[in-house]
Amino acid sequence: MRRPLLAVAALLTALLLQVGVVNRLRLPGGHPDLVLLALVSLALVGGPTYGAVAGFAAGFAADIVPPADHTIGRLALVYALVGYGAGLLEDAEERSVLAAVGVVAVGSAAAVVLFAGVGALLGDPRVDASSVGHALAATVLYDVVLAPFIVPLVSGAARRVEPVAAY
Amino acid sequence: MRDNGRARVILALLLLTAFTLVTLDYRSGGSGPLRRIGNAVFGPIEDAAAAVASPIGSFFTSLGHLSGYKHDNENLRKQVQDLRKQLRLTDSDRAHLASMEKLLHLDQQAQFRVVAARVTAVGSSLGFESTATIDVGSSSGIKPNETVINGDGLVGKTLSVGPSTSTVLLGNDPNFHAGARMEGSEQIGHVDGGGRRPMTFTLLDSQGDIPVGTRLVTFGDINNRPFVPEVPIGHVVSVQPPNGALTRTSTVSPYVHFSSVDVVGVVVAMPHPPARDSLLPPKPTPSPPPSTPAARPTPSVTPTRSH
Repeated sequence: MRRPLLAVAALLTALLLQVGVVNRLRLPGGHPDLVLLALVSLALVGGPTYGAVAGFAAGFAADIVPPADHTIGRLALVYALVGYGAGLLEDAEERSVLAAVGVVAVGSAAAVVLFAGVGALLGDPRVDASSVGHALAATVLYDVVLAPFIVPLVSGAARRVEPVAAY
Repeated sequence: MRDNGRARVILALLLLTAFTLVTLDYRSGGSGPLRRIGNAVFGPIEDAAAAVASPIGSFFTSLGHLSGYKHDNENLRKQVQDLRKQLRLTDSDRAHLASMEKLLHLDQQAQFRVVAARVTAVGSSLGFESTATIDVGSSSGIKPNETVINGDGLVGKTLSVGPSTSTVLLGNDPNFHAGARMEGSEQIGHVDGGGRRPMTFTLLDSQGDIPVGTRLVTFGDINNRPFVPEVPIGHVVSVQPPNGALTRTSTVSPYVHFSSVDVVGVVVAMPHPPARDSLLPPKPTPSPPPSTPAARPTPSVTPTRSH
């Protein structure tokens, strides 16, 4: 039962760092998505069910954390799918860091495209070719740069608190 | 690879829940109870996190500046470190004070009643919205749809308000729209945040002329909600050709740097409307191009026109 606690701690920390610190840095293009990095790291250890549940919970928290102002449920939907997908590739991180970085890259791109797609269906004026292009390039690039540091850290912690997966 | 039926059923249930949430929130127009719960739960945590983060940030900056000192003994090094840290903190305090004074200056000129606040969090995951959390809420008398300003001009408006925090829609968000008036005239139109593109001003009168360099102020809304009148917005930097359209559109350079707002004020009351054009910064000098940061005017009093 300790792994859910670790997931809550890791995802909440990532979320608060995202809105309180990372989004305030003036980086060119966009920002890394720390919640997605933490989520993929956890799902790579916990499997698809764990990834989907953790993704939904993290997405829902990110939907309602101020100053979020998009339709509630959008990030929950996106992160549940990303968590499930990363969970299907369970233990890729154990085989090589490069595989984990690949999962992060695909997951980041999928997250931006899905989030923008649902936004376009809902008529969100913030979604246009230029904003999606920038977000896609920046999120994938920054996440790939951070992945070799964050994924081993979070995945390692998840594996240590519960060496035999219970899911 | 480890996929099984149970995982797929759980994913399907989660996706169904997410779709339900999206539908409910979309139909409520974003004013459902979940947003308020989020404000009440996460707002105070963001407050506390911001209080912890800023001294740590300045501490690390001061450490970075220390790396040149290698020849001194341990004691002296520690002393320098402490002094440097103090210097850093006073620097950030001084910047804070300066923006506060600027805000107070505008506030006094306009006789706005303003509640001062600091930004504690910005944006969201995946980063499509341009919004900020500020550390005042309904307990300080803040309500949704109130004007947010700083010493430079219009910052945005409040959206949802929690007990001790509020969400501000910044002027560069694509959802931001405000009525605007050209200085020294009755010509009105609207400014719209552009997201990654620049802010635009659209003049409602297709025959009207928008001279480059014209400064824009808020027009003001009924009961001063969401916008009080006369708050400086920015100046016109270029005008699109008419092309037979019913309105004229121009590009605006805003006075406020939306990406670095820190100290802001929420206008909670305005006993007397300010004099026309009285809050505008001095006109930018015509020689340098208006888009360069050096040409950015500093606010001070311009000659006022009486009513």
